[in-house]
Amino acid sequence: MKEFKLNTIPKIESGFKTPEDLFFEKFSANLIEQLPKNEPKTISLFQKKKAIIMMVAAIFVLALLIPSVINNASRSSEIDPVTLENYLSYQSNVNQYDLINVLDEEDIDNISTNTNIALEDKTIEDILISNNNLEHYIIE
Amino acid sequence: MLDEKEFIQQLLNPKTQNDAFQKLLHTYQKPLYNHIRNIVLDHDDTADVLQNTFIKVFQNLKNFKGESKLFSWMYRIATNEALTFLNQKAKKSGISSETLQSKAIDNLKADVYFDGNDIQIALHKAIVTLPKKQQLVFKMKYFEELKYEEISEILGTSVGALKASYHHAVKKIEALLTTN
Repeated sequence: MKEFKLNTIPKIESGFKTPEDLFFEKFSANLIEQLPKNEPKTISLFQKKKAIIMMVAAIFVLALLIPSVINNASRSSEIDPVTLENYLSYQSNVNQYDLINVLDEEDIDNISTNTNIALEDKTIEDILISNNNLEHYIIE
Repeated sequence: MLDEKEFIQQLLNPKTQNDAFQKLLHTYQKPLYNHIRNIVLDHDDTADVLQNTFIKVFQNLKNFKGESKLFSWMYRIATNEALTFLNQKAKKSGISSETLQSKAIDNLKADVYFDGNDIQIALHKAIVTLPKKQQLVFKMKYFEELKYEEISEILGTSVGALKASYHHAVKKIEALLTTN
């Protein structure tokens, strides 16, 4: 069997014929017609006016919204009771003596009537036994 | 042709674009026809792909940054268009790309733009059996006689890899043609 060599025998061409010039002339003409036209973009006066009207409307709406936003912001600055309690417990230097000084008789009555602060006998006994400064409090 | 940078400027300038594009068309339509024809094999399909290629070139001129040569950029677009066309046609017909190309080779004898003999048809049949990349490299090197550096720029593959690919392709084709 004869061995086939691509590079030693005369070169084998593809066999494809390039079409005649007429084909390419027609091809070019067709192609040029199909190309997208580069026409400059025109913006109508109405479109320009519309944009300006939209901008003015947007500014107007913003101007109306600003006072209500400010109002909402000032309302939200009120401190809620939980935050206040947390602040007093963990962040401030207020101790129980300061609090006692602030309370008057009415407040103490309110606490005793609205809150159940009754202590059991055993608890009172334990406090009296463990407290060394009892005499000091009695004198006071 | 003019200095390439100057020519690209003419292509990008709306005032000179049409004339410059006509020049581009005149210079590249024949070599690109031959390049696409070698890939898609059928004349009518080649004409369609060539048209799509030039439309894409025109639409993407503004994105061409001159990093590669105009020649290799256009060949890259033509190659991609041809391969995409083949895949889409095969998918539409519900057959593989290889079967589609075999059918196109069988129809070559009736093609007015083909004057090849039995050896040329046997060579095309042998090429179809190669992997797609090897087919491309072989056709660009053997039929179109492009330099490895040019093929490298078009396909984005190193010269070394192209040489290896071409060598494998030649060996396989020679083996096939020897047994047949």
